[in-house]
Amino acid sequence: MRKKQLWYSLIGILVVAFGGLFLTLASGDKPSLGLDLQGGISITQKPVGAFNTSSLDLAVERIRERVDSLGVAEPEILRQGDAIVVNLPGVKNQAQAEQLVKVTGQVYLRPVLVDDQFGGIPCVTSDPNKKPTPTTTTTTTAGGSTTTAAGAAAATTTVAAPTTTAAGGPSRRTSTDNTTTTVATSPASTTVPADASTTTVAGETTTTVAGGTTPTLPDVAPTDTGYVSARGGSLCKVGPAGGTGEVFKDDATARILPNTGWGVTVSLRGGDSGEGVWNTMAAECYGGTATCPTRQLAIELDGEVISAPTVQQPNFSGGSVQISGAFSESEARNLARVLNSGSLPVKLETQAVQTVSPTLGKDSLRAAWIAGLVGVGLVLIFMVLYYKLLGVIVGVGLLVSGALIWTIISFLSKTQGLALSLAGIAGLIVSVGVTVDSYVVFFERLKDEVRAGRSMRNSAQRGFAGAWHTIVVADMVSLIGAAVLWYLTVGSVRGFAFFLGLSTLCDLFVAYFFTRPAVLLLSRTEWMSRRKVMGIEVSPVAAS
Amino acid sequence: MPQIHQRRGLGGRLYHGETAIDFYGRRWWGIAVSSALLVVTFASLLFQGLNLGIDFEGGVAWEVSADNVSVNQARSILDDHGINGIDAKVQQRTSASGSVLLIQVGDQSVAKRQEVQEALATEAKVPTESVSVTSVSSTWGRSITEKAIRALIIFLILVALFIAWRLEWRMALSAIVAMMHDVLISIGVYSVLRFEVTPATVVAFLTILGFSLYDTIVVFDKVKDNAERFSGARMPYADVVNVSMNQVLMRSINTTIAAVLPVLSLLILGAGVLGATTLREFSLALLVGLITGSYSSIFIASPLLAMLKEREPRYRMYRGSHATGAELERLVLGGSPAARRDAARLRSDTGADEVVLAATPTTPQSLLTHPPRPRKKKRRTS
Repeated sequence: MRKKQLWYSLIGILVVAFGGLFLTLASGDKPSLGLDLQGGISITQKPVGAFNTSSLDLAVERIRERVDSLGVAEPEILRQGDAIVVNLPGVKNQAQAEQLVKVTGQVYLRPVLVDDQFGGIPCVTSDPNKKPTPTTTTTTTAGGSTTTAAGAAAATTTVAAPTTTAAGGPSRRTSTDNTTTTVATSPASTTVPADASTTTVAGETTTTVAGGTTPTLPDVAPTDTGYVSARGGSLCKVGPAGGTGEVFKDDATARILPNTGWGVTVSLRGGDSGEGVWNTMAAECYGGTATCPTRQLAIELDGEVISAPTVQQPNFSGGSVQISGAFSESEARNLARVLNSGSLPVKLETQAVQTVSPTLGKDSLRAAWIAGLVGVGLVLIFMVLYYKLLGVIVGVGLLVSGALIWTIISFLSKTQGLALSLAGIAGLIVSVGVTVDSYVVFFERLKDEVRAGRSMRNSAQRGFAGAWHTIVVADMVSLIGAAVLWYLTVGSVRGFAFFLGLSTLCDLFVAYFFTRPAVLLLSRTEWMSRRKVMGIEVSPVAAS
Repeated sequence: MPQIHQRRGLGGRLYHGETAIDFYGRRWWGIAVSSALLVVTFASLLFQGLNLGIDFEGGVAWEVSADNVSVNQARSILDDHGINGIDAKVQQRTSASGSVLLIQVGDQSVAKRQEVQEALATEAKVPTESVSVTSVSSTWGRSITEKAIRALIIFLILVALFIAWRLEWRMALSAIVAMMHDVLISIGVYSVLRFEVTPATVVAFLTILGFSLYDTIVVFDKVKDNAERFSGARMPYADVVNVSMNQVLMRSINTTIAAVLPVLSLLILGAGVLGATTLREFSLALLVGLITGSYSSIFIASPLLAMLKEREPRYRMYRGSHATGAELERLVLGGSPAARRDAARLRSDTGADEVVLAATPTTPQSLLTHPPRPRKKKRRTS
């Protein structure tokens, strides 16, 4: 019975590994190679018109985020003069690649229609655990005429405003919301500007803004209603954009606000296109009308809601806006940066789409392959010389691992855009050492057991049990490393994490499903038990 | 029949795991060697730092029509102007409108930029203005470094917790110290030899980090095994460590050979014979890292562990009385440490330097028994 299971496992893994390899080879898939080895596509974008350096930096970062979210292809993003150059390895679809690297830096202000899709998660929660409940805070501005309530129920707002009945604001939302717009109005805030009161429909006021630039990337066009993702993974249903980030001056700063902690202050541009547009939206949201039932105004950058503060004031004639809430310092700084970039968005134009040659060239790749194969060959010779017959098992085991890894990498190259760089290849070559170590640990244990006078069959079982424990503990450390680096890093570090994780998992898998049955079955044979194994005679006392 | 009575040569003893090297007693050698290497590393990092490549630092890029200039010609032009052509990043970019060479190197003076620009223009047979000179930023953004460092710190905390849970916290501490030692020395090699640090180098350092931890844990697993095995017997922790080191010595040597052979092949065959020079620095870093990774498990991590353990009340009284020579050999071969107790007591009583140990004959029967399990009830008090 036990023996049968061992055979199943052995035959199973051989079928899986070599069947997979056969299918991969038959379908002509092979691992795609990284920028350094195979080259790729390079897209050069240049800003047109006025821009400031910080928004260009932000654009680079946005591109990096987008490109890195793709997978482990190890793209390269650099600035060449003012131009942003994105080099993508292993890209099959050029149009898709172009689409991917296009960011606008355009910030849209759009009313939030429904913000608690999927189980009451508010629009913006960078970390739901960190701030479970928002606290109600009040800030008094210099003028003393306006105070604002952050977070909780609308009834607590004590702004000098006509009515504070939250018509469309469901209590469930407001109780979990954690960002608010507080207003710093001058004492003259009682005089409501005419332009703000006359315009009623957000869509009308924004047509001019949205019409100017047609952004390609936001998944929901600024004139449509749809779902936009927010930081932290939730979705917000937002309405048509009521304005762009251009209503603000580029003076947004993150600072510690009295009583509420980190927040952002920014001033409005004067006139209809600045204050006017903003106040229209503010009035609408404050009133909780059908176009803005949640009273939240989302600040969206390239299809992602950065913040969605609740409007606490219908009118911002003082010219400055304060966004407070339970921000951390870095969140506040990020928001300020986004607002600054949005106040003068970079308009990037694709200048050139070129194919890039590999920096290393074919000879490096060939040399790496030849040297790698020779190296592995030397390891095998060493194993066979040292462990005799058991060394042959190492050889077959490495073939099984190699077949598995080749199949997986080919598959992911095709589906996930994985690309193997020279560093990746070298990493795989080093992983041979760790893989071989599993065998060495096992065989040395086996030798100990045989030396202690146990029978071959018994030794193999006890040896594996001990070695397996060691291998699992040691490999777990590698797996923890791979997982942490994979989730938290980008670029080539992430690529490294991937290959580390892959080779470690393969190591565990092969050790259990191949090496164990192979050695255990071999140890049961009559022929083996009478042999002088690894230079140690099996004790005649025990070998019965 | 039992081979243990025969005396073998060193090779044979190694093969059969019968060595009796007093690693613990020689711990200061390892620590001295490592300290020296670390001092060199720190001095080098302090005085000349790391030679960060264009991927980290940014630099200058020339763009020239590729019609008359090949990649190799571009590199040799750089060499002519005193810029290391091998480290330059030369890409050929092709689009419908023709193809250009993009030559990137670290930052250069204005005069040098112009010199190279002119030389490239002459080579390409185009006017000087059509060779563009721009500054390029690093491709390795600051955010990548920040994220990587944050991830590494989280990883180290998790690994320390994991080792503390599966093995023990002293092992976690020792393993991490040994790992840092390995990574620092590998970085030191880069600094001393002025190798250019590229993203691939970072991957090499991470590989070394992973291998070092892996190797140390395999060794510590054996130590833990033996500590349990000998827990009934009263013996210094140094003995446990020494016995374990000798027992895993062959495994460590084999694994190091298996890991080093492919890298050595990359270095000698790939970089040397086949001339892929980019492989040279990379594989040299890996080679150093792998060797120090194995070395530190035995010469840094384990002695450190023993020294930490000896502070425990349980082992404190045996400090400085670890077994050597024949006695250690007997322990390695699986003998019980029974005679040690009396010896240790005798020594502490009389202060005699030489203690004649009662030689317990090793018979196959005594070896056949299963390793003694710790039995709390039977533990005798001294």
